[in-house]
Amino acid sequence: MQTAISDDMFSPEVIADPYPYYDRLREEDPVHWNEKYQTWIISRIDDLTWMTRHHELFSSAVFRDDPRAPYPEIDESDMGIYDDIVRLYQANQFIQHDRPEHLEMRKVVHSYFTPKSMEEWRPFIKNAITHLLDQVQDKGHMDVMRDLATPLPVLVIAEMMGVPPEDRGYIRELAEKLLYIGRGEPDRMKPLSEGMIGMQEYVSPLVDERLVNPGDDFISVLAGGEKAGIFDRQQVLVNTSLLLLAGHETTINLLCNGTLAFIQHPDQWDRLKSDKGETLPPLINRATEECLRYDAPVKSIQRIASEDVEMRGKLIRKEDRIRWFITPANRDPEKFDRPDDFDIGRWPNPHVAFGSGIHHCLGAGLARLEGQEAFKAMAERFPKLELDTDQLEYQPSITFRSLKSLPVTWN
Amino acid sequence: MARKLSISVDHNLCVGNAMCETIATKAFALNDDRQSEVADPDADTEENIMEAAESCPVSAIRVVDADTGETLFP
Repeated sequence: MQTAISDDMFSPEVIADPYPYYDRLREEDPVHWNEKYQTWIISRIDDLTWMTRHHELFSSAVFRDDPRAPYPEIDESDMGIYDDIVRLYQANQFIQHDRPEHLEMRKVVHSYFTPKSMEEWRPFIKNAITHLLDQVQDKGHMDVMRDLATPLPVLVIAEMMGVPPEDRGYIRELAEKLLYIGRGEPDRMKPLSEGMIGMQEYVSPLVDERLVNPGDDFISVLAGGEKAGIFDRQQVLVNTSLLLLAGHETTINLLCNGTLAFIQHPDQWDRLKSDKGETLPPLINRATEECLRYDAPVKSIQRIASEDVEMRGKLIRKEDRIRWFITPANRDPEKFDRPDDFDIGRWPNPHVAFGSGIHHCLGAGLARLEGQEAFKAMAERFPKLELDTDQLEYQPSITFRSLKSLPVTWN
Repeated sequence: MARKLSISVDHNLCVGNAMCETIATKAFALNDDRQSEVADPDADTEENIMEAAESCPVSAIRVVDADTGETLFP
C-alpha cells in the first residue's frame, strides 16, 4: 500500500533533496492541500502557468493580506518586529501588488531591466567576475558562494544604485543581513529588520539628491516614480532594497546550484569547455537556462486566492493560501523529455524558474547575464572543477533552494 | 506615410508578461492562453510597436519592415 504524502516540507530529507517529494506530489496529487502549513501546493507546470497568467484570481498581496506567522517559526518575542517592520516592508514592494497598481509601478522600473538595457551591463559583470576570480585563482580552491556568488550581485547592484565606491563595503554588510530572509533561524527577524532599516536610512538622502539631479541609476528611476505620484517615499526606499532582497539570494543560488550541477555532470562541463560557438542561441545561454531549470534558485512562490477557484476537482476557496512549486514543475515530464537529465544543449527550454505572466521576474535578464558570464569564466579558468567536501547542506527554506556553502578545487 | 510593419510573436518564448499589450494596445492582444498575439499592427504607431518589442522581457517579438524585409527588432 502507498503511504500517505507527509505534509512536513521542512523535514531534513525534503530540504536536502526536494525532488522525490515534490515529484510524487506532482504525479499523485498535483493540487494538494497541506494541512500542516495550511496552504495549497501546486506542482504541475501547466497548472503553475495557468495560475500565473490568471493573476486576477490569485493575489500577490500576500504580506498585506496574510496575518499568519511566518514559517519556519520565529521567536515569539520577535513577532512585533515581524508585524511592525518586516511584514510592512515586504507589503510595500511593487511585486506584492495586484493590477491596476502593479502595472503602474512595474512600468516605472520595467524599461531599466529589458534585455537590451541589461546587455549594456555585460562588460561590467565580466570585469567584476574577472576581478573576483583573480583573487582565488592561485589558491587552487574557493568557496563559490563566499568568493564569487555572494559578492558579484552586490557589486552589480551597488553600481546600479550609483553608490560611491567607498560605501560598497557598507552595502555588502546590509546585503548580508537581508539574506536572512531565506534562512530558518528562529531569531532571523532581528538581522533582517536591521538590514531593511539600514537600507532605508542609507537610501533616503540619495533619493532627495536624485529628485534634484536625476542620473541614469536605478534610484533615479524610482525617484522619477515618486515625482510622477506612482510611488510614495516609503515605496521608493523599499523598492530600492528589493534589488538586493530579490536579486541577491536568487543569483547566489543560480551560480551555486548551476556550478554544482556541472560538477555532478562532468560530461556537460567538458561539453561547455569544448564549445565552438556554433549554435544559436549559443551553448552558454542554453546552459544557463538548463541550470535555471534543473535546480531552480527559487523553489516556490506564494499567492492568496481572490475568489473561489476549482482546479482538478478541488475547490480553492477565496483567501486560501497557495504555493506553486517551480522545483517539480521544471521536471514535469509532460513538458520536458528526460526531465531529470542535466542537458545543457536543451532547446527550447520553457522552464518557469522566473515564473510567468505579469509578475515574470523583473531581474531575469540580469540573472541570465550573471549566470552566462560566471559559468563561461569558470569553464575557461577551471577545466577540472571538483567538489571539496562530502557534505552539502541546504538552508531550511521552502522558498529558496540555497546551499550553505560550495567549496571547490581545480588543481 | 508610415511604413508597413510585419510583426510576429514566438510562442516558445512568450511568457505572457503582457507589457506589449499595454504599450501597443491595438497591435497586440492576449489569446486564450494569455500569450501575446498580433492583432492589428496597422492601427498602432511604429513608435509604440518598437517600444513594445523592446519591452518584451524575453525578446519574443520580431518586427520586420514588410516592404524591404529589413529586421527592425531585435
